[in-house]
Amino acid sequence: MYAAAVTFRTIDELEAALRAADYLPDRGLSTALFLSLALEKPVLLEGEAGVGKTEAAKALATALEARLIRLQCYEGLDVSHAVYEWNYPRQLLHIRAAQEGTVSEEELFGPEFLIRRPLLEAIDSDEQVVLLIDEIDRADEEFEAFLLEVLSDFQITIPELGTIRAQRVPAVVLTSNRTRELHDALKRRALFHWIGHPSIEREIDIVKLRVPGIPERLAAEAAAFVRGLRGLDLAKPPGVAETIDWAHALAALGREEIDAEVVEQTLGSVLKYREDIEAVRDETLAGLVEEARATAGKSR
Amino acid sequence: MQGTAIVRHVVTFGRVLREAGIEVGPGRIVDAVHGLGAVDLTRQEDVYFALRQTLVSRHDELELFDRAFTAWFLRGPIAPVVRQRQERRFASSVVRDTLESAKDGDEVEVAGDPRELGASEHELLREKDFAEMTPEEFERVRALMEAIVRTRPRRTSRRRSPDPRGDVLDMRRMLRRCLRSGGDPVDQPWKSRKEVPRKLVVLCDVSGSMDAYARALLLFLHALVGTGHGVEAFAFGTRLRRLTGDLATRDPEAAIARATEAAVDWGSGTRIGSALQEFNVTYGRRALSRGAVVVVVSDGWERDDPGLIGREMAKLARAAYAVVWVNPLKGNPEYQPLAGGMRAALPFVDRFLAGHNLRSLEELAAVLAGIERRHAA
Repeated sequence: MYAAAVTFRTIDELEAALRAADYLPDRGLSTALFLSLALEKPVLLEGEAGVGKTEAAKALATALEARLIRLQCYEGLDVSHAVYEWNYPRQLLHIRAAQEGTVSEEELFGPEFLIRRPLLEAIDSDEQVVLLIDEIDRADEEFEAFLLEVLSDFQITIPELGTIRAQRVPAVVLTSNRTRELHDALKRRALFHWIGHPSIEREIDIVKLRVPGIPERLAAEAAAFVRGLRGLDLAKPPGVAETIDWAHALAALGREEIDAEVVEQTLGSVLKYREDIEAVRDETLAGLVEEARATAGKSR
Repeated sequence: MQGTAIVRHVVTFGRVLREAGIEVGPGRIVDAVHGLGAVDLTRQEDVYFALRQTLVSRHDELELFDRAFTAWFLRGPIAPVVRQRQERRFASSVVRDTLESAKDGDEVEVAGDPRELGASEHELLREKDFAEMTPEEFERVRALMEAIVRTRPRRTSRRRSPDPRGDVLDMRRMLRRCLRSGGDPVDQPWKSRKEVPRKLVVLCDVSGSMDAYARALLLFLHALVGTGHGVEAFAFGTRLRRLTGDLATRDPEAAIARATEAAVDWGSGTRIGSALQEFNVTYGRRALSRGAVVVVVSDGWERDDPGLIGREMAKLARAAYAVVWVNPLKGNPEYQPLAGGMRAALPFVDRFLAGHNLRSLEELAAVLAGIERRHAA
């Protein structure tokens, strides 16, 4: 059970706590996180890169006053990096230090020599934790199958030690950039929420929240400009994270508004590919700046 | 709303979604009921998200869900939800009819050898060469496809397993043996990295000029997708269409029926460049092609600007481990890659192969099995 120190009775309460953690969720995301807690089910957050999937899990941990345990997935991720590993150097030293024949196998493969990796850490914790399984689509399918087992029973079996059961079910957030479809069985285990790019108003609010003291006009223009970029055919369209980075840069330069010149100088913090930067240069850029200034004028 | 009323509503709505083609199991219905129990039912937005997040698990089902939700809960004046199953039945009967008619008539011969014809002439004929294969050949192609699938290009996994000729010590096993020797590693158990199939992405041209090969190629795609692991299949003509889902059935005929239905631009012109662009934008961005072997199956007849093919092939080649282009026209000894699109693509292709008959598909299988990256990263 989630016998959390912090509990939320309504979506509004959770939303307020997330806002207090400097995260501005939309209603859909708040509902997803709320239901995940209420139904004790993992939630799968999917969406383009940079829409704040990972940040959502961090904010949830802050809101719950819980520890965040993060498992970053990658191709080839295996049990020794995700669950546990034995501390071989220490084991070897232990055998050598002891008198010959006095070390038993039970002693050698005991809790003392166990290195806990994120999944075991989350299952075996006696405090409230948020387990973030980041970019699950990058792990290979064998690992996904293993994860399914863990998330079904919230228990992990270590051959030498036996089965370890979760004393309290952790809040689990999975994220995926959808480089591949996940297995249906895993999806059945989880609630699903798709995070799109935020509306212009929300993005302006996010920028103002994350870049304290930024001029209102600049925040609006930056958000509108990035929104314009997302409409272009780019290799990697900028996410909210890029808007924030860029707004930081613009504010640091002491700008009140954007113009073609400053955009040109700072484009590298919004676009991360050379071809994208080249594609946006010149006329496109001037046009986008004009458009953004017009949009920002209207939205405020 | 009463508790039982909610349950009834959700169960019926689940049925509506199933009709629309969204897979809704009983577990999801239970989740939806629990979800509604946890939110404020007077807030439409919360009801919407609670149902969506419990009943839908795929991004491409969201639109379908939205329409069903509007129709069911809001009784909105919207287009009725599409009943995919009925259409599918229709499509598969079309295929069956085509197969039947092909069996007892030789009129397909009139189409001539499409290799001798240009894209436009062949398109005029519009004879679907689906029928050129007899059932025996059909079976043989299937068997061959399975062989191709078994010899998929491989990459080294990070996972290790016991192997006496391995390259890394298996510490866990060694320590256990050390217990007996007082800490001396007398014998050393080794382990090594396993080889696992490399990702394979197939982009198959199903436009008019490729008609004659469409059926064989779809069988090819079906067998590839059938292995399940890391295979993605796409069809393109004027547009790109992901086929992985449509081909994920055991029965090739049903799979072809679904794919035929899905590739709506079946038998129309080709926009290779824009199809590649769509692939790069939609799927390449999500790293689908990163580290993959990408096989493009097309004759290279482009309607539009061949320059776009060059640019998009460059992007594709950069992300991919290797790019193979299969052009059925290459089976003709007199063939020269003169088509503008083909010429633009070739600089970015690691292997250029024919795919016009079984023997050439065997060759393709051999190349895929031993493929090495040739182009610079």
